[in-house]
Amino acid sequence: MSLVVDSVTKKFARFPALKGASFVAPQGAFVSLLGPSGSGKTTLLRILGGLEVADSGSVRFADLNWLDMPARTRNAGFVFQQYALFKHMTVADNIAFGLKVRPRDRRPSRADIAKRVTELLALVQLPGLEARYPSQLSGGQRQRVALARALAIDPRMLLLDEPFGALDAKVRKELRADLRRIHDHAGVTTVFVTHDQEEAFAVADLVAVMKDGRIEQYGTPQDVRRDPKTAFVSEFLSV
Amino acid sequence: MSRRLANPTEDPLWLKLTLGIIAVGFIAIMLLLPLVLVFKEALASGVKTFFSAMVEPDTLAAVKLSLLAAAIAVPLNTVFGIAAAWSIAKFDFRGKTFLVTLIDLPFSVSPVVAGLVYVLVFGMQGWLGPTLAGYDIRILFSLPGIVLATIFVTFPFVARELIPLMVDQGRDEEEAAATLGASGFQTFLRVTLPNIKWGLLYGILLCNARALGEFGAVSVLSGHIRGQTNTMPLHVQLLYDNYDYAGAFAVAALLAMLALLTLALKSFLEWRYADELAASHRH
Amino acid sequence: MSAIGLKIPLPKSRHVLPGFGLSLGFTIFYLTSLVLIPLLALVLRPFELGLDGMWNAISTPRVMASLRLSFGMALAAAVIDSVFGFIIAWVLVRYRFPGKALLDAVIDLPFALPTAVAGIALSTLYAPTGWIGSILMEHGIKIAYTPWGVLVAMIFISLPFTVRTVQPVLSEIGRDMEEAAATLGATRLQSIGRVVLPMMLPAILTGAAMAFARAAGEYGSIIFIAGNIPAVSEIAPLLIVIKLEQYDYAGAAAVGVVMLAASFIMLLALNGLQSWAAKRR
Ligand SMILES: Nc1ncnc2c1ncn2[C@@H]1O[C@H](COP(=O)(O)OP(=O)(O)O)[C@@H](O)[C@H]1O
Ligand SMILES: [Mg+2]
Repeated sequence: MSLVVDSVTKKFARFPALKGASFVAPQGAFVSLLGPSGSGKTTLLRILGGLEVADSGSVRFADLNWLDMPARTRNAGFVFQQYALFKHMTVADNIAFGLKVRPRDRRPSRADIAKRVTELLALVQLPGLEARYPSQLSGGQRQRVALARALAIDPRMLLLDEPFGALDAKVRKELRADLRRIHDHAGVTTVFVTHDQEEAFAVADLVAVMKDGRIEQYGTPQDVRRDPKTAFVSEFLSV
Repeated sequence: MSRRLANPTEDPLWLKLTLGIIAVGFIAIMLLLPLVLVFKEALASGVKTFFSAMVEPDTLAAVKLSLLAAAIAVPLNTVFGIAAAWSIAKFDFRGKTFLVTLIDLPFSVSPVVAGLVYVLVFGMQGWLGPTLAGYDIRILFSLPGIVLATIFVTFPFVARELIPLMVDQGRDEEEAAATLGASGFQTFLRVTLPNIKWGLLYGILLCNARALGEFGAVSVLSGHIRGQTNTMPLHVQLLYDNYDYAGAFAVAALLAMLALLTLALKSFLEWRYADELAASHRH
Repeated sequence: MSAIGLKIPLPKSRHVLPGFGLSLGFTIFYLTSLVLIPLLALVLRPFELGLDGMWNAISTPRVMASLRLSFGMALAAAVIDSVFGFIIAWVLVRYRFPGKALLDAVIDLPFALPTAVAGIALSTLYAPTGWIGSILMEHGIKIAYTPWGVLVAMIFISLPFTVRTVQPVLSEIGRDMEEAAATLGATRLQSIGRVVLPMMLPAILTGAAMAFARAAGEYGSIIFIAGNIPAVSEIAPLLIVIKLEQYDYAGAAAVGVVMLAASFIMLLALNGLQSWAAKRR
């Protein structure tokens, strides 16, 4: 049931954004992809989410050939840096979206959906905001709604692309702690992209340090910090 | 990988082809075919007929009148556009939104209604008609009427291009110039104008195209006197109604070339100076 | 000179920049004398005639038929252009293909081409002997010199409004929302129907309203193709012209007031749409 990413590559036009990325994470792990801008973190995450098609390589997850499945059926919750909330829907409709678009036989009843929305809003600590529109929320609140929306589909995997990048330091810290708490509660395998090493080390079980489309080093925060394997990693961690 | 998947926001090939064919087909049949037909008809009876229709005295008189009307209306609307944009972008006052709506008003009024309102003001049964007739001043069915009609239908072009552009650019630079001792006119000429020149040109271009091509409003006010108060578009109608199709399409081809030139310049400005045009044109 | 040796001109008014009085004064003078007062002359006309006289002028079968034709066909043209305008905007924003820049530039042709030129071209094209007219004739369809000619001309002149209002909004919203919808399990159809179209709705309606206003008031391109048969293919603006030629100022003004009222309503609708769209941003 683990996540096995094996030699994934991806070129844009002729530019290689991923040159063979591999890592293995146990079921329920919290993995952080850490690296400077342009190192291929977003590209790898989008491939895991089915938003980008890999050129070669494979991913196995939950006994599935993950890359052969379209985004729609992977059931992987994705949280975008710029929220990507549906502006024309209320908070409740945003969160309920993934449940409402299910085929009729798997769609929960209206009452169940409303109940689930209330639960999720409590989980992300925004009780009572069902009727608001995204434009009426602060950045931190929007990202909490985006998180609740991703969790509503009972995801097999949670993918977050610099979700707190646009927020100020204090809100980032709060959200980071809440994210870890929610992860532990749901037990879902999580891949979290950031370029902030402090953030990566604070929340993750495993850290993959990326550079130029490759994973330079992969291990627990303690191991990576104690024993940087390359000059790049030690330099990146020292700044 | 056993199976090729596409990005979920990428439309499948069959859909791309279907929508592409609909779009290109609609544009080709609805927009391009009429244009091709104008040139084909203009040259149908030979290049010689085409050029002799062009240099016919009544045609030349129509060209002259159209250019004259545009040469009066466009500069006036340009000055208005600059004044309106300056007051709206650089100052705060109550009723600003309402003023912007009023400036846009002529766009939603039928050109024929635009002609009609001036008839109601300057006609013999109108508010000013009898008085002006006493001084022997003629507005309707002569150049002033044609100019008024042209001003009305091209009224918002320059203003509506400059207002969003100057609002976007803010007031910092002008305020800096003012603190450095520049006069209002110097500030406008040396600070504001360089920032808006391409947007201004864009607005003037569209204003001019519409001025040369206006039909409905001018039609009501011109009196259709051949060789005297007929503009180019009115001359097209006159020739066409007299079954002189070669002549009508010759003048039409001339106007169509002007339109193509306008489109080419417009596309060039949008491509080359995208950052310096109002946000609405950046696509 | 002040103590620090700098001379800063004191603003004479509460405005920092000069020219407020002059620019706003000229703006209001120019707007009032050239647009507002002439429009007022039209608005007040029915009161000079008495409202009864106005109603009598409008309620004739010929006038009613022309208003029905102008507004009915304008509505049809706005709907048709909204559909094709959306498809064209979608193709221009989302797909990459050779000649795209040219296709994009051609969209504005109806803005740039004088309406009289469009009128004689469309009329020749759709006449029973024309390139398109002859083909349709074989199937027993007549366009030129019928009310359908009015519709064709309106579709032509209004198309740019729908494309040009939808296109920038579509390229601005990007693909994030559709990606989010896909990761949440939506099919392509659900993501277009529940996410893209509702988000584009204000822009689509704005384009449709502008197309409608332009089509309803259009004159030049229509009169050549319509055949202008009274009570059948005679548009309202043409009726104004005819009444003016007969020196029936009252009758012309009555029709003009109805057209102007429609313009005002469209303008209000457009403003409403704009503030609705702004609120959702
Ligand atoms: N859609 C794309 N088209 C072209 N190049 C891209 C695209 N997406 C990413 N890239 C390039 O791939 C490289 C890796 O990008 P990305 O995965 O976004 O890096 P990161 O998220 O680590 O900043 C960058 O050099 C970027 O410019
Ligand atoms: Mg990134």
